[in-house]
Amino acid sequence: MRVSELYFRYRRNDPWVLTEVALDLAPGSVIEVAGPNGTGKSTLLRLLAGLLQPTKGTISGRPALVGYAPERFPAAQPFTVAGYLRHMAAVRGLAPEVIEEWTARLRMDHLLGQRLPDLSKGSAHKVGLAQALFCSPGLLILDEPFAGLDQATRAEVALAVERLAADGGIVVASDHQGDLRGLPGVIRYEVRESRVWRREVEEAAEPLVTVSVRLPLSRAGLLTARLRAEGHEPLLDQDPALNQDPSFNPSSAQDHSLSPDHSLSREPLLGQEAE
Amino acid sequence: MIALIRFRFAAFVRSHRVFQPVLGVFVVLGLLYASGVPLGNELSSYADSAAILVPVFAWAARGLLDNEPDEQRMIARAAVGRGEQAGGLVAAFACNLLLAAFALVWPLLTGFAALPGADVLLIGALLHLLSVIGGTVLGALTSRPLLPSPAISLIALLGGYIGILVVGSGSVWVFPAMSWMRAANHGELTAHLPAIIASATLWSLAGLAAYGWLRRTRP
Repeated sequence: MRVSELYFRYRRNDPWVLTEVALDLAPGSVIEVAGPNGTGKSTLLRLLAGLLQPTKGTISGRPALVGYAPERFPAAQPFTVAGYLRHMAAVRGLAPEVIEEWTARLRMDHLLGQRLPDLSKGSAHKVGLAQALFCSPGLLILDEPFAGLDQATRAEVALAVERLAADGGIVVASDHQGDLRGLPGVIRYEVRESRVWRREVEEAAEPLVTVSVRLPLSRAGLLTARLRAEGHEPLLDQDPALNQDPSFNPSSAQDHSLSPDHSLSREPLLGQEAE
Repeated sequence: MIALIRFRFAAFVRSHRVFQPVLGVFVVLGLLYASGVPLGNELSSYADSAAILVPVFAWAARGLLDNEPDEQRMIARAAVGRGEQAGGLVAAFACNLLLAAFALVWPLLTGFAALPGADVLLIGALLHLLSVIGGTVLGALTSRPLLPSPAISLIALLGGYIGILVVGSGSVWVFPAMSWMRAANHGELTAHLPAIIASATLWSLAGLAAYGWLRRTRP
């Protein structure tokens, strides 16, 4: 998919929202769009999704199947979650079974009977994500997909994005939280001053910290799995006191090196530590 | 497409906004047929009902289209592309056909002194069809993507209809609601029917083309 010399403004004589945008989105790429509020991130996403037409320039090679999850799901609709998703599946020509798969993955089975206007912000957001994800789109557009979601669902969405990209889909997400940064090969763009800038990952320039978490052994496996899904490199260490406990077998929990505390770190320490 | 039409229709009914135009049809028909229709005046009654219901059909179409939140329209557009526009128009048209059927049947039950002939029923149905098409197009042209302000939209809808009546009293080549009312009352409807159909079709097609063109940049 290619964007060439794209210019966009909402009305004639309005200032340009986007100018000179040129992007090349290869199949299998995950693109994170960052930038301050109100600079045109959502506009860029809508242009890519084909919901807005460029004022000048072209977007070519868009995959046929587009999934779009808006920043704010329109919850003011007279349906239950299940009813709405059934309608959306039918609009997409999908069998109703896909609904169950995605409501389970997004941990929203308990919401199916609730009316859309009664949902909390995070729950409504999940409905928006489900309808975008369940058609296995070739182009997935997610506007702030992680806002208001619980940790487990954030990890699941990151996983879904990774899988879709592995299958050759293109994923474009605006993301303030940085939940996608852990995925391999994420390309970052920033929308600023009506231009779209490629950003190199500048993690190395930032000081690194180690965050230590002490928790019961039984919960360690789940937490490390979640952290890994978010792209961190957790190190699972045991208390010295537990070394004497013959029932504890670190290799059965996670295959990570030992150090004197439960330290879950992204990178080796660089002199700073936050407890 | 069928699924999208069903979805929008269901949303319109379940949100209860459908009751507004239904109520409008009730009021119009109640007033129109309250004192009964003398024998032989059935066609002019149908012509009046078809012309007076144009703004009610426009109101229903606008209500159905505006019932959908803007972001939901985006979601539908992502799913079916520009078919989203056609889906909305067809759903509004289908809803108005039901209202028009109601307007055709009502006087048969209460209003007409005797059951009119098949030709009167046929021409009555045709006039209501022209009214439904014109009303749906007028409603679409005043829907939120094109006129975001509810006040301006309502003024445009009612102003558009009053314009049709005022300007249309002089010529059949304005949307011919006024023409078919006058022709029916003078017993000349059959003679003027081809021009009325042609004019209504041209205006409706022009309105549809304008809607499609304007929606290109107003999703």
